[in-house]
Amino acid sequence: MNINTQFDAIVVGSGISGGWAAKELTEKGLKVLVLERGKPIEHGKDYKGEHMAPWDIPYRGKPLRELYKEEYSVQSNSYAFDETTRHFFNNDKQNPYVRDEKKPFEWFRADVLGGRSLLWARQVYRWSDLDFEANKKDGHGIDWPIRYKDIEPWYSYVEKFVGVSGAKLNLPQLPDGEFQPPMEMNVVEKAVKKGIDDNFSDRTMTIGRVAVQTEAKNGRGACHYCGPCQRGCSVGAYFSSHSSTLPAAEKTGNLTILSNSVVESLDYDAQEKRVSGVRVIDANTNEKTTYTSKLVFLCASTVGSTQILLNSRSETFPNGLANGSGALGRYLMDHTYRTNVVGLMPGYTDKYYSGNRPNGIYVPRFRNLNGQDEDADFLRGYGFQGSAARFDWRSMSNQVSGFGVDFKNAMRAPGSWFFYLAGFGEQLPRASNQLKLSETHLDRFGIPQVEFDAEFSANEDRMRLDMVKEGEKMLKAAGLAFVAGDPGKSVPGEAIHEMGTARMGNDSSEAVLNKWNQAHEVPNLFVTDGACMTSSSCVNPSLTYMALTARAVDYAVKQLKDGYI
Amino acid sequence: MNRRETLKMAAVVLGGVLSESLSAAVMAGVSPSGKVSRQLFDASGRKTLEILAELIIPETDTPGAMAAGVPDFIEVMVSDWYTDTERNVFLEGLHELSEYCEKTYGKKINDCSNDEQVSALQWSEQESKKYPVKRSSPLSRTIDEDSPFFTKIKELTVLGYYTSEVGAKQELRYNPMPMKYDGNLNFSDVGRQWSY
Repeated sequence: MNINTQFDAIVVGSGISGGWAAKELTEKGLKVLVLERGKPIEHGKDYKGEHMAPWDIPYRGKPLRELYKEEYSVQSNSYAFDETTRHFFNNDKQNPYVRDEKKPFEWFRADVLGGRSLLWARQVYRWSDLDFEANKKDGHGIDWPIRYKDIEPWYSYVEKFVGVSGAKLNLPQLPDGEFQPPMEMNVVEKAVKKGIDDNFSDRTMTIGRVAVQTEAKNGRGACHYCGPCQRGCSVGAYFSSHSSTLPAAEKTGNLTILSNSVVESLDYDAQEKRVSGVRVIDANTNEKTTYTSKLVFLCASTVGSTQILLNSRSETFPNGLANGSGALGRYLMDHTYRTNVVGLMPGYTDKYYSGNRPNGIYVPRFRNLNGQDEDADFLRGYGFQGSAARFDWRSMSNQVSGFGVDFKNAMRAPGSWFFYLAGFGEQLPRASNQLKLSETHLDRFGIPQVEFDAEFSANEDRMRLDMVKEGEKMLKAAGLAFVAGDPGKSVPGEAIHEMGTARMGNDSSEAVLNKWNQAHEVPNLFVTDGACMTSSSCVNPSLTYMALTARAVDYAVKQLKDGYI
Repeated sequence: MNRRETLKMAAVVLGGVLSESLSAAVMAGVSPSGKVSRQLFDASGRKTLEILAELIIPETDTPGAMAAGVPDFIEVMVSDWYTDTERNVFLEGLHELSEYCEKTYGKKINDCSNDEQVSALQWSEQESKKYPVKRSSPLSRTIDEDSPFFTKIKELTVLGYYTSEVGAKQELRYNPMPMKYDGNLNFSDVGRQWSY
């Protein structure tokens, strides 16, 4: 078993971004090595929780509290974490980070091939120039080096392959994409949408745009509405590296995947000004190997990629590779989370639904669209996700008192309809929000652990209060009763939209990456995951990582062929 | 393959086996037959669990808690899943209920008539209402370990029943492979709520 250590390109990470980098690079004829720190798993075969009947789930889905506290203290807080998915998640005891109890950052991680592409909530939205121009307009952070027109064709390119279902709206702040037929709103969602459309000229509600196919296409099936998707989808209706990009890359014959391969650092050749090697530790044997390539794509996730760069110290770059600007590790962002508005919908008791739709509704941003709204005491904006459903036996059983025949009969029909909105707000980029390498804590491979120093601040707090105020207004106008909003308490990282820390920008004195996701100071190094983000928008970021990755590969391979790299 | 590589492969394979058996150990006691790791209930205690579960969800035109295997589930949960605090609350509650029966009816709970057992469980529910319900948000996963006995046994019975094959398919409706989404279904077309 002799493993070649020389490749045309090395991709670190196999999640949403790494999968795309692997597909694009191999399809352009490069010999590619994908390094994944997690365990190998196979599409379909290793989706142990898929279609698992409720009676087969250990403890019928109740959390294994002792084990979770001991070994999954962070991951077990994820909505997607339970016994049907635990095998995909990171073991926090084995792979810890320094978590400050007083100022926490929640770092949700997968620990398998395919990464969080298996676990994501699959909402995909294009960014617009409202987002790309935001920093320049209000002076927070630096200007993006790209605009919507630069990324637009790449959005189309990736959407066609991803398989995105959604409805066109013709809104400048939420550009339409290449959509398969939208999923259906249920009867109460349609009523709420009508209420919002009738009462607010500046707002609307649509079915979520989601990376779940409604048509069999791209060699993958259409959704069969079994839900919950995070258990895995062997027909490949939802987009993951396993269902989509990695098989495409494999088909070229140019792909090598090494799982259980933890990247420790990158070697830098000061004379050639190039990354000259990727240092890898085998997670099972601790054996160390250095792999070499002409191109290196870091797609190890926002935190993972920056950790590798910070840990790649040399004489030229004593503070981390490609960090002449000092921006590496800084400007960490997430979205605000846990702000919600709930109401009960009277009537419709003769109506119900069938199928577990893996999608909800979306209310696109409506605040500060044309400059600053007069009544807004915050910058930028937010969007809402949500859905309508009827209460089920789980929530009803606490409400229905008594026992016996009457109780049993009362549980036969579902409860009343409710509708909720959950806000996702843009976080401003701030230098003080950062991740660092610990000087005292090493992991089991001897790599310095990551520590975070990040928090939301007043702008996001005021935004969350506005979500409650405006959300309540909308729900009341749409006919909902008992409307109640809760600004909640948002902890950074919880939205699992962490981004920034190796931002893009035109000026190498302020930014790590140029407009092609290429390190200003190291031409054969590209970072195309969430670390590259210069601002956070309020829409879900994964689609943008995919588009930027495909765009960066196109550029990198041309540069390589033209002899510039 | 040379020796070093062989050893490396063996380590990989073994690593997999070890973690498998570890997760099997973690899941011990959760087989459908309800094997428990410790014997908390003697025959009469077990009989009481059966009586109470069936009182909470009785057989009607569909099977009740007994036929759905709920007593097995309760035993597993109380023995293996509960924390010490929860187990103590549960066992003490069961004991108090027995004492109530002996005081009120001069009989052990298992020997009481159905009406007496219903009255006793109603008494237990009333007692539970003295306990202030802790507010928790729908997003919170916190479990109130101190909730009273009646709350606990009702929760376990409800969970065990509606997630059982009997409860999911015969009492409620179960459709693991819907193939499509219908957001405007007449409730009368299914007549029951979905089990999940």
